[in-house]
Amino acid sequence: MEPLRQLAKEKLRGKKAIAVMSAKGGVGKSLVSALLALSLRGAVLVDLDVHTMATTKLFGLEDKLHEVTKNGIEPFKLGELGVVSLGGIVKDKYVVLPGGNAGEVMESLVAYANLGDANYVVFDLPPGLGDEVLTLERLTDFFPVVVTTPSAVSVKVVEYVMRYLNEREKRPLLVVNMAYMDCGDDKVARPFGDLKNAEDLAKRYNAPVVELPIDPSLESYIGKVHEYDGVVKGKVKKELVPYLT
Amino acid sequence: MHEWSVADAVIRTVVNWASENHVTQVKKVKVGIPSFSFLDVEILKEAFDTMKGDSPLDKAELEVVFKDPIFKCRNCGLTFSLKDVSDQLESLKGEFGEEYPLHLMPALAPSFLKCPRCGSHDIVAETQDITIDGIEVEESGTAQTVG
Repeated sequence: MEPLRQLAKEKLRGKKAIAVMSAKGGVGKSLVSALLALSLRGAVLVDLDVHTMATTKLFGLEDKLHEVTKNGIEPFKLGELGVVSLGGIVKDKYVVLPGGNAGEVMESLVAYANLGDANYVVFDLPPGLGDEVLTLERLTDFFPVVVTTPSAVSVKVVEYVMRYLNEREKRPLLVVNMAYMDCGDDKVARPFGDLKNAEDLAKRYNAPVVELPIDPSLESYIGKVHEYDGVVKGKVKKELVPYLT
Repeated sequence: MHEWSVADAVIRTVVNWASENHVTQVKKVKVGIPSFSFLDVEILKEAFDTMKGDSPLDKAELEVVFKDPIFKCRNCGLTFSLKDVSDQLESLKGEFGEEYPLHLMPALAPSFLKCPRCGSHDIVAETQDITIDGIEVEESGTAQTVG
C-alpha cells in the first residue's frame, strides 16, 4: 500500500490532466505550459521539473513559499490560475535527487497539493523520458502535448517521445513552438526552418499540429507571464485550447 | 498543518484497501513515518480521528511508529545514521521553520543532507516516506493483522 500514490490518484480523479512534454530541452515547454494553463478556465499548473523549476521564474514567484493548510499545499494564486512548484517548498536551494526520490517528490507534489475544484491540471514536465513520465502514468491517464521547434534536430529527438506515446496508445498534440515570425503584409519569416520536418513527424504518428509564433516581446514578461496577452497567447487560446476542452 | 494531508493519505489508502478486501471494520492502523519529518503525532491523530468518520475506519485507532533511517552514501560507501547528520538537520530547521522541506517531503533528504565523510548528496535511505505497516481488522469476532 502506498499512501502517497493513493492520495495523488484520488486528487486527480475527475480532472483533465494535460502533460506538456518534450524529449528536447530549450523548446519552450514551460512557457507553453504557462500560457496554456492561463488560457484554460479553472486550471492548476503543476511544475514537475523538480530540478529547474522554471515556472516560479516565469511567474515571479522565486522567493515565495507555499502556504500549508489542513487542505494541503496551497497553490500560488495568479488570478484564476493556481501554480504548484517545488520551488515553493525549497526556495532557491538546488535539488539533486536519485531517480526513485525524484519520482517520490513528484508524487508528493500532486498528493499534497490542494487541487480544489480545478477542472484542468497542466503538468510542466522536464525534458526527456524519465521518472516524470513514468510517475505521471502511474497517477492518471494524461493527455500529452508534445513541444518541439521546427529545427531538424529537435524534431528528430522529439520522435522518441512520439514513438513512446504511440506504443502507450496515446495520441498527442504536437506543438511547434517558435515556428514563424509575423512580418506584416501576410509575410512570415521562419528562422528555425520550415514546418516540413514537424509535419512529417505528426503525419507518421497521426497527431494534429499547432504552430506558435515567435514574439520577441515575451522576454519582457519573464517574471510576470500572467500579464502577457500577446500573439502567442492568442494562438494558444484559439488553436491549442480547442483540442483540450 | 501538513499532518492533515498525511492523515488524509492514510485514510484514503486504508478505505480503498478495505473496500477491495471486503473489510467492514478496521480496528487499528499502524503507520511508519521517517523521524526526520518531525510530524506532530498529536495533530496527526486529531486529523485522523476527525476525518475517519463514515468509513470502515470510524472506530480505528492510529498507531504511529517513527523510523530512524539508515543512510548509505553511494559515492564513498559510508553507512550512517540520522545522528551523524543531526547538525545538518538542525540548521535546515532553523532556516525554514515549521514547514521545512523534509517535514513536507521526506524524499527530498538527499538534496538537504550530505554524507558526513565525503560530502556527496548521492545518498539513499531505507525509509523515505510514510508507509502503512499493518492494519488490524475484526471480522466475525476475530482480530487479524494484515502486514
